Order: sequence, then structure tokens, then C-alpha cells
Amino acid sequence: MENNHSDLISETTQKDHWFFLRLRSIYIIWYREILIYFRNYLKFFTSIFLPLLLLVFFGTGIEAVFPAELLEYDFIQFFFPGIIGASISVMALSSTISIVWDREFGFLREILVSPIKRADIALGKILGATSTAVFQGFFIVLFAPYLKINFSTGLFLKTMGIIFMVAYGMSALGILFVSRLKKMESFSILSQIIVAPMVFLSGAFFPIGNLPSWMAALSRYNPLTFGIDALRWITLSKTMPASKISSFSSYSFSHCLIFLIIFDMIITIISVQMFRRIK
Amino acid sequence: MTHKNIMLNSSNSLESVEENKNNEGEAIQVENLKKKYNRLTAVDGISFSVKKGEVFGFLGPNGAGKTTTINILCTLNSPTSGLAYVNGYNVIRKADEVRSSIGLVFQEITLDNHLTAEENLYLHALLYNVSWKEFIQSKREVLKLCELWDRRKSRVETFSGGMKRRLEIARALIHWPKILFLDEPTIGLDPQTRNKIWDYIFSIRKKKNLTIFLTTQYLNEAEICDRIAIIDHGKIAALDAPENLKKMIGGDIITFRCEDNDKAEEEFKKNFPQYRIKRTGKELKTEVDSGDEFLPVLVKTITPKIVSMELRRPSLEDVFLEITGRQIREKDKESEGFDLGINFGPLFNLLDNKIVATESKNSQKVKDEN
Repeated sequence: MENNHSDLISETTQKDHWFFLRLRSIYIIWYREILIYFRNYLKFFTSIFLPLLLLVFFGTGIEAVFPAELLEYDFIQFFFPGIIGASISVMALSSTISIVWDREFGFLREILVSPIKRADIALGKILGATSTAVFQGFFIVLFAPYLKINFSTGLFLKTMGIIFMVAYGMSALGILFVSRLKKMESFSILSQIIVAPMVFLSGAFFPIGNLPSWMAALSRYNPLTFGIDALRWITLSKTMPASKISSFSSYSFSHCLIFLIIFDMIITIISVQMFRRIK
Repeated sequence: MTHKNIMLNSSNSLESVEENKNNEGEAIQVENLKKKYNRLTAVDGISFSVKKGEVFGFLGPNGAGKTTTINILCTLNSPTSGLAYVNGYNVIRKADEVRSSIGLVFQEITLDNHLTAEENLYLHALLYNVSWKEFIQSKREVLKLCELWDRRKSRVETFSGGMKRRLEIARALIHWPKILFLDEPTIGLDPQTRNKIWDYIFSIRKKKNLTIFLTTQYLNEAEICDRIAIIDHGKIAALDAPENLKKMIGGDIITFRCEDNDKAEEEFKKNFPQYRIKRTGKELKTEVDSGDEFLPVLVKTITPKIVSMELRRPSLEDVFLEITGRQIREKDKESEGFDLGINFGPLFNLLDNKIVATESKNSQKVKDEN
């Protein structure tokens, strides 16, 4: 640990440009998040194992219930981008819980009284949570060839880009919630009231086209729906014809992309503002 | 001194604070600091200054405003009114400068449990922009000083309470701050560890010419400060060196017990009308100018048989009692939560009763089973 970062620490002095100083602050907070993520082997392992388990067992189960003649597409292939989106969202949101943890164990105060700016702490935390989710997404994407999904290097990079955008939005959303929370217990309540419905209504587990109208309406205005749709457009683009993908998507790819960018920007501003008021 | 004079003086000192922001001699300057939470006034117009290299203690019961003051000085809380300068920087306008020039040890532990001792220090060095060379040097120094060098690769979660405290103090020193703030650093520790931590703090202070600002509710800890401020209900009740505060009480304290206390008290009042005598429990207590000379006289004059007798110099406990009219630990019993303006007392009582009820039920069950 010491040798890796020795260059970084010695080169920065008071004279550095403010922009680099702030980047450095964000890096410090991010670095600590990552350090803790890799230190917790069990969490690290389950974060990759659980989505695959769900994909294989749940996916195969559904396929067994609905025979191929009834379903016009391979359910596991449909399920694959959904499971990526759902698991990285849950991962990103639950990574932000580290703030509540830090608050409970006191470490948050150590960070808050340091000379680092609040906005940088918020951004560092968001990027830390995003990184853990992207890392998880990366491992799940590696399994694509085993599900007969055609992939290329370009497609892989594009997928990682979308994964980053979705994870970032969810992390920022998490920071927004968490900066108001005082206790661990409140987080589990929050995840049940907000996170679970968001994931279920995002079209990750089933197409939302045939849902009753009230549920479909909820799904259409769910920010995660855009992320799942975007992932589906990208990952399945070489496996299924576009007409088939659009049959179980709510939005076109360009709509999804524009929405994701705007959502990420707005949510960043709001959550940084909220984090500034933390005490 | 007339009223006008006082006014003049105070306005002068205000100006001088404004001017002497970079005054070499003063580490902390506070002028008429106030903090209000809705109806509750936590800090009520306090003024004081701390010299460089001084150990300054804030002594007071829980809820007296100690932590609020320290939080304002550390920029964690903003004052309702008043001025405060730390290392010459205004705590409101120059918060970042203040933060990087001070070291903090809070009441509660603020370490990262998942990381090792060394990693905790490393993160702190990063946060405070300490260069790598300096970090390696000071890491070794502070870890050796607080006797944690051998455990530097262990995770903090395996540490005992005293070790965590020592590591926190070590961490607060990594960036070599000019002032070290210690908010009840020894709370919840056993006496041995407490002494060790004070030894440690003082050895650092000697080496580094640190200014130390500490709050405590242990009177023997306040004794070691150069100067102490006794704070109660958000106001400074007294501020001086511990010896001077003790002198304020007057001479020595004699407590004695007789077989017939009533008669002894009567005789005392008759023979020594210049001294006050008080009854505390089974003992009689009096304050006299020079106890060693008075003691033989007292023994001769009192006719009832004396059971026990003690002569001692006044302690800070006596000072505190004199100034605030009560013992320092009394306030502990009061429930917290008054800042909401709601009295939760009855609710807690209700809960307690319930717990007691269920407990007795359980014990009943256990008995039945047996």
C-alpha cells in the first residue's frame, strides 16, 4: 500500500492548482471506499456470486415453466441485462450505506473535520460506490458468452459505459438518501420502500409492456427503467433483432442515453447540496 | 471602576482581537461567544484566550457547554454570535485554515475499524496533505510514542479502548498541529489507562511545544492544566490557574467527628465566631486560615471526645462546589433530550417499568422451571 501511492503523496504540495487538489481529495475518499470493499472478502464474493445464481437458477426455472413455443425469445438472454442492471443498482445503493456506518462508528466525523471540502467527500463517496458496482457488473458481463449472447470488444466497452452511468446515478441517489439517515435500521427500511419497488418495476425481471396500466405507468416513470432499457439495447444488439428488443423496451436507446446523462447530472447536484448540510 | 470604564475596556479588547489576528502569543481567542438552540442557550457569551504552549482546561458537568464550545472552535458548529480565532484564523471565515492547523480527539472513537492502525494514520495524512517523507517520519514517531508500533499492522477492531484512544491521539498528531483539542479524551477508560494517556499527552507537549485545549469532568485531570475555566450553564464561572482557584477558597479545610457533634458545634461557634462551621453527614467541616496552627487549639477547646480529624488543602472539588453550589457529578443523573423542549422522563420511566415487569416475569419463569 505504502509504495504504490508514495509518488502521489509526495508530489502534491500547497502550490498545486486547486483543480488537482480537489481531484486528489476525491481520490482519497474513493481510495478508502475501495480499500474497505476489497477488505470485506465475503461481501466481495457474494456481490458477484448472487447475481449469477439468480441468473442461472431463476432464469432456468422460468424457462422450464414457459416452454420455448410460448416465449418468443430466450428468457435468460432477456434476463441477462436485467440482472446486470438490478444487481449493480442494489450494489451501488448499498455501498453508500458506508456513510451511515461511518456515522455510527464515528469515522464520518474524522472526514468531516478534515480540510477536505464537503462536495469532494460526496463525489468521492459516489465514485467509490460506483466503482464497486462497475466492478461487479464487469464480472457478470464476462459470463455473456456462456449464455449465447454475441459480444465484441466495442460492445463490451459500450456496456461498461452504460453500467457506469446507471451505477453512478444510483450511487448519487444513495448518497442523497443516506446523508439524511442517522441509523443503520433506517437503511433497511429505505431499501424496502424505495429500492425494491424500483428494481421490480424497472423491467429487469419481466417485460413491462403487458402490465396493468397503473403498474405500467409506475414503471415508465421509474428512473431505473431507462437504465435497464439502455443495457438491453446494448447487450442484445448483436443477438436479437432490434424489433424484438423494442417489443420489451419502453424507450428507444437514444432516449435512454439522454435521460441517463441528465439524471446523473441533476442527481449529482442535489446530493452534493444535501451532503453539504450534513452535521 | 465605573460602568463607563468597563464598557471602554470591553470595546478595546474587541478591537484588539480584530487587529491581532496573527498575534504570536495567542493560540485561541474567544470574545463573547454565544450559541443558541431554539430555546436552549448552550453557550452564553463566554470570553477567554489561550496562550501558545499552554494546557487549558474546560471543566464542567455534562451539558455545561463544553462540547459546543469545542465544536465551534473546530468549525463543526457555527456560533449564534461572537468572535473566535484559532491560530489567528476566524473560525467562520477561515474554516479550512483552522481545520488544517488543529488536531482533534473527540469524545467518541472516530477510527476506521476495518483498517489497520497504519492505514488509519495514512488516510489521515492524505486528508491533511502531509507529504510522504513527513508521514513516514511522523508515523514512526507517534506510533512509538503511544506504544503501538508493534501493533501497527493490526486492524483497529482488535484494539482495546485504551489502545484506540492512544491511536486517536497519535493520529491527531500526524500532521503536527499547533493546537490539540481533546474533548474528554479519557472518558470511559480505567484509571490506569487514563494516567498512561495523560503521561503520553504531556510527553508530546514537552517535545513539540503544543497548545492543548481539553475538556474534562474529572477534577484530578483538571489539576494538571496550566489554567482552567470552570463552565456551568454556558457561562464561565471562574478562570485561573488551579492553585489560584484553590487559594480563592481561603485557607485549609478541617473536618472532624466527635462523639457528641451537637455539643462540639456549639462550642466551636462560641469559641471561634470568625470561622464558619458546617455539618456534612456525620462530620463537621470548617475552613480556617492556617490549619496546622489551628489544629492544636481546636483539640484543646473542644470538650467532647474526638473520634477522627482531618486537615487538608482545598481541592478543585471544593472550588467547584463553592462556585456552582453543587457537586460536579450531580448533573449526570438528569436525562438528556431537553433540547427538544419535551420532557421524555415519564416515557423513559414507563419503558423502564415495562422492562422491569418483563424481567421479573422472566425471572419468575426461570424460578418455575427450576
